[in-house]
Amino acid sequence: MVSVNRLILRKFKNIAGSRYEEILNSYRDFFLTEEEMVIPRFKSILIAIDRYSSNVPEGVFKLIEHYSPERVLVTYVVDENTCRLIRETLGEEDADKFREKETALAQESLYRVRVALKALDVGWEEEVVFADKTTHVETLMGKYDVLIIGKQYGLESAKTHHISPLVFRIVQHVAKPVVLY
Amino acid sequence: MQTAELVALSVFAGVYAFIISEKLHRTVAAMVGASVILLLNIVPWEKVSEYLDLDTILLLAGMMVVVNIARESGLFEYIAIKTAKFSKGNPMKVLLLFSVVTAVVSAFLDNVTTVLLLTPMLIYITRQMDVSPVPFLLSEVFASNIGGTATLIGDPPNIMIGSAADLSFNDFIINMTPIAFLDLFITVGIIYLAFRNVISTHRERSEAIKMSIMSLNEEDAIKDRALFRKSVIVILSVVVGFFLHDSLGIKPAVIALTGASVLLLWSGASPEYALEKVEWATLFFFGGLFIIVGALVETGFIDQVSAWMMNYIHSETQAILMISWFSAFASAIIDNIPFTATMIPLIKAMGSSINTYPLWWALSLGACLGGNGTAIGASANVVVIGMAYREGVKITFVDFLKVGFVIMLVTVGVGSGIIWLRYVGL
Repeated sequence: MVSVNRLILRKFKNIAGSRYEEILNSYRDFFLTEEEMVIPRFKSILIAIDRYSSNVPEGVFKLIEHYSPERVLVTYVVDENTCRLIRETLGEEDADKFREKETALAQESLYRVRVALKALDVGWEEEVVFADKTTHVETLMGKYDVLIIGKQYGLESAKTHHISPLVFRIVQHVAKPVVLY
Repeated sequence: MQTAELVALSVFAGVYAFIISEKLHRTVAAMVGASVILLLNIVPWEKVSEYLDLDTILLLAGMMVVVNIARESGLFEYIAIKTAKFSKGNPMKVLLLFSVVTAVVSAFLDNVTTVLLLTPMLIYITRQMDVSPVPFLLSEVFASNIGGTATLIGDPPNIMIGSAADLSFNDFIINMTPIAFLDLFITVGIIYLAFRNVISTHRERSEAIKMSIMSLNEEDAIKDRALFRKSVIVILSVVVGFFLHDSLGIKPAVIALTGASVLLLWSGASPEYALEKVEWATLFFFGGLFIIVGALVETGFIDQVSAWMMNYIHSETQAILMISWFSAFASAIIDNIPFTATMIPLIKAMGSSINTYPLWWALSLGACLGGNGTAIGASANVVVIGMAYREGVKITFVDFLKVGFVIMLVTVGVGSGIIWLRYVGL
């Protein structure tokens, strides 16, 4: 039987020739390495949303469920500079109206996220903050392992960019994995 | 027996011995044998063109050029990744999908190229799933041989039979594809029953397995998007051409060569590179074999064997069963290409006393499916076992035999039954 098995390998060499090595090399370009196969462990996740990126897709929640993090913070950020500009130009009353409307919109957006997170059996918190959209996220990311953020986060209403410039800046400054949706 | 006949038979037997033992590369053995035949003028030079089956050789050459150019685009790796992702890491789906894809690709491209391109992906996925790759690889091999049975261009014996008996691509679709289809699902069923205990992953890891497989990006496999598109268009056009070749009155070899020329022209691929990758060794092997078998015909040996066989064959039923089962057992041990090359003139010679039409299908069935019987029965078997061995997965001759022989018996049994029902009936 040993000689038959040796015959098989001899035949293999004759038939496959160098083609086997060539094909294997081309596959190596996109096969995951042993290191890449190990799924990283993330304990805490920050989800940053705003009025432009509040529709979090279902796939993101599946990802969160897979990582089973110990804590998740959903932060809804309203641009405080816009609020300041309204106060300075239109007055305190209009600024308050803006804050109220933004807070209501935030609660509405958070409700959808809340429903999805409740179904995942993970510990989570939520907040609505008036802050600078980039520095707030960058500061918070000191305490979280992964950032989940929409491409439209911080985008102006005209939506002239496919990906918000603010997101570009955040991705460049945050030294942690970022999930973009 | 005359001297020429004795020499022709000795050369034939010697070449067969070298092919079986693999002590000498099969091409070298065939070329040396053919040279002896030509040097001794057993086949006169002016008759070489009569025995050299250019339809077969050019069809193979044309398809090799098409496949080699298409390969550069990453098309086949793309198919492998897509198949893997469709399976979503479910072992049963992997088994079924890879078997079906292998069979379909093998039906149109050569089996060795198909398994060479799909096996690395299959081994990778089974590693991800943490299951034994053996049942999956065996299923892939069997599917490749079964898929090759389905069409005129699926396996070299079919190309040779089609050319010799003037059978069209659609004749094969009508007669062999339904058999191959049925045999494929029976085979997957047998593999599942035989290995059902090892074809399962740990439930708690299924999500992680799915994620790692879904993280593969088929777009990464595409090396040249324009060539990818052109390759798909040309391959599909060639397949359509095969379906229409009979009604258009064009030989399949012409369709393949036209596809190769169009792809060379359209892609701008270097002809030196594309032609360098053609398996010249295989083509010369065919050339040598045709001359060696031609010598047996020329000396009258084939007519004598045919007359002797006809003493024992009294009906079409006997002929169908004998040819299909003899071909299957013979192809399980020896290379089905020289075997088919020998059987073709034999069946032609039987034509004077029996209807040979169903016998061609019996030969195709036995020669192609017999390859599943043993590890050395077909080139695809050897390639998959060799690749698995390089990746640390051992499939011994006996391991293969235990499953392969059962598959061969069942698939040939089903196939010969269908042929008998169709052409002889109750």
